[in-house]
Amino acid sequence: MSALRWTVGRLGGLVFVLWAAATLTFFTLRLIPGDPAEAVLGGPGSQASEEALAAARAEYGLDQPLVVQYLTQLARYARFDFGTSYALRQPVAQVIGDQLAGTIALAVMALALAWVLALLVAVWSTRSGRLAAGIGTGLEVVAVAIPHFWLATSLVLLFSSTLGWLPALSGSSAAGLVLPVITLAIPLAGFIGQVMRESLLDALSSPFVLAARTRGETATGVIWRHALRHAALPAIGLSGWAFGSLVSGAVVVETIFARPGIGRSLLSAVQARDVPLVTGIVLIVALAYSVVTTATDFFERIADPRLRLAAVA
Amino acid sequence: MPQFLPLSAPVRAASALSMIAVGALVLTGCTSGATTTSSSEPVTGGTLIYATGDAEPTCLDPHVGGNYPQALVATQYLESLVSLDTDGTPIPWLAAEWTPADDGLSWEFTLHDGVTFTDGTALDAAAIKTNIEHIQDPATGSSTGYLALQKVTSVDVVSPEVVRLVLSSPDSGLLESLSQPWLAIESPTALARGTDINCESPVGTGPFMVTAWDRQNSITLERNPDFTTGPADAAGDGPYLDTIVWRFVPDSATRYAALASGEVDVIDNAQPDAIVASRSDDAIEELDAPRPGASNRLELNSGKAPFDDERVREAFIRSADINDGITSLFFGTAERSYSVLSSVEPLGTSTPDLFTIDTDAANTLLDEAGWTRDSADGIRSKDGVPLTVRFPVSTNQSIPAEQSLFEQIQATTRAVGFDVQLEPLDLSSWYGALGENQYDLVSAPYTKVGPDVLRILFDSSGITPAPSGYFANHSQINDPALDLLLEQASAAPDATERASLYADAQKIIVGRYFVLPLYDQQNHFLFRSDVQGLRAMPTVSTPTFAESWLDR
Repeated sequence: MSALRWTVGRLGGLVFVLWAAATLTFFTLRLIPGDPAEAVLGGPGSQASEEALAAARAEYGLDQPLVVQYLTQLARYARFDFGTSYALRQPVAQVIGDQLAGTIALAVMALALAWVLALLVAVWSTRSGRLAAGIGTGLEVVAVAIPHFWLATSLVLLFSSTLGWLPALSGSSAAGLVLPVITLAIPLAGFIGQVMRESLLDALSSPFVLAARTRGETATGVIWRHALRHAALPAIGLSGWAFGSLVSGAVVVETIFARPGIGRSLLSAVQARDVPLVTGIVLIVALAYSVVTTATDFFERIADPRLRLAAVA
Repeated sequence: MPQFLPLSAPVRAASALSMIAVGALVLTGCTSGATTTSSSEPVTGGTLIYATGDAEPTCLDPHVGGNYPQALVATQYLESLVSLDTDGTPIPWLAAEWTPADDGLSWEFTLHDGVTFTDGTALDAAAIKTNIEHIQDPATGSSTGYLALQKVTSVDVVSPEVVRLVLSSPDSGLLESLSQPWLAIESPTALARGTDINCESPVGTGPFMVTAWDRQNSITLERNPDFTTGPADAAGDGPYLDTIVWRFVPDSATRYAALASGEVDVIDNAQPDAIVASRSDDAIEELDAPRPGASNRLELNSGKAPFDDERVREAFIRSADINDGITSLFFGTAERSYSVLSSVEPLGTSTPDLFTIDTDAANTLLDEAGWTRDSADGIRSKDGVPLTVRFPVSTNQSIPAEQSLFEQIQATTRAVGFDVQLEPLDLSSWYGALGENQYDLVSAPYTKVGPDVLRILFDSSGITPAPSGYFANHSQINDPALDLLLEQASAAPDATERASLYADAQKIIVGRYFVLPLYDQQNHFLFRSDVQGLRAMPTVSTPTFAESWLDR
């Protein structure tokens, strides 16, 4: 029963999040300066004639009152119809479909690399004395503080311009993915690492670790077989949030490495006041974010029996 | 950044009578476009990768909308009725010859024989008529091309090779207008497919054809095997390249890194730091092709206080010290302009004397105008109103070096008591601020072929916003004498008279301190030195690869 209620509550929350995202995006884009009809006619500052503007407004329903436009849009979303991009003249679903895979590949690989880096640094620095602990903490703080754009440009300068090892432009090749993935993974690894190290230290000072050691478990065995399971919990929770930050990082990384993806689509769509495309991308990101958070909650329940027991009680 | 460079508008241009004389006048003008030289024979084949920092067009048909990113790529697959040579004189392209009527109210163009579009459709007079009507049709959504055709009332098919344009009044800039890529000629068969399909795969007569468009990544252009045309000044026997991959690379540092490592062959929107870095790299060369039309300039909004007072405008210009800033911030890649027109415009007049720095004179002028200096921060005021100058800056159009230059203007004019408030805005918000008259100063580049750009930018009718809210007369000059001069110049049948009218008009614009010229609209390209035969079109300074080949 509790699992069912949990699922229903989650679904209700998901619908609410999507509605709120669509509503906020719609009204924000209409409140900031700029005429969406100009997106249809070649972008801001167009010298389009009265007739051309009228035709564009009629074609996209922009001549209707704002509330009518809003309700029409909601009704369309309820039918899973995302509309047509003003600027690209393509169905929004098609634009997102074309661009989504690239961004997901980037985000998933960055998340995986961030986990590996965080794990290595956390384990090494908790095991290898005070100097290592200091270095580990320092690395994490620096990694967290580095902005994506600075990191991306520095990596391009080092590995493309100076050393010539990796391409500056990220195309379809595997080599092109390396720098974008590293750029996204490093700040994230800093975040995950900070949380992980703290819980790892907590776990290592817990009685069960002592018990394991007295049973003859080695120091390495304690970390990998016992303590990490505890240390991973908060980090799993953080990964849900991390996914959101990866999407915002994708805006920067996809632009700098000239890589197709929804981050770059979002940037140009906002600049063009392309309301359907912006809303479509925000909805997809909100959906993905909700799914990932739900999944991390689910994994936390699996990894930690206490959560399941608490729900039953 | 010039990513979203302003919609460039069309011109009216030189009459046939003036064409002969223009050649003589332009001896004093600069020329745009450089051609790379090579000692060896052209090689056929190969793929050239072009990395553009301009925005990805939303439609590859430049009739729709009509901005510089579209002009850049359309130059590779579309051609116009006429072109210009490096002196600015109209020369044949798709039209072999042309004749205006004695009253200047109609023009007959004779087309080259046997030209076909890449879909097999024949180029004939009816095709020209279809194209002009397509640009003029509101449903097309042209925001640049249609302005160039405002005087064209109808198009007659005289014979399959001869087409007649009927005008409402004489237009000395008609040929300059028609040379622009926003008025290029497309296959009528392709146009009939509708806007959405034509936007993805426009069909022309140019050296290359659009074969694929991978959004947000690249456009693929393949060689047109049946290419027969080209402007009268084209060199060689091209096109030689098999393929051009047109990649969108918005970040300038990445663009240069990709060029330096040989991942791409040509980049546009090269920034000052990249240009300087490239000079120590033998494998990279530069093509500097300033855009035609207006220079980059600050416009002082004379429509409201404080710049409605000429003394305040002069004080501002006399105190805005920019020469050292331009040299240092642009690393010597940009030259100070003292003209409201681009240096490639033969009829531009340069008046350095009007722009000498004199802070004493500026202080005196402000005292006379009643702006007193009694507050502790040094900002002048009048009737309790501080001398605040609002300056919305488009972060899409102004590169970082230019934004730093604006900060120098802020600092140097503060010394005489101006409080310049820089407001960085994205493009839509920036147009919004202009539309609501929320500015005293603005920098708004404008590309267009010929001096008629002055009519767009400074005629009093340009103060009234277009239906979209756009207006071009940002200095809000409202002077009937100037309007009359620009009107007469636009219809002037005689080249000498035309030149003298435009000189008088510029005297009013700069002489009454409505503008502070900065430099030409920067348009620097960098390319690998094994790219041969690259040149910029003398029309709107877009590079053409019709004569290019790879020496590798």
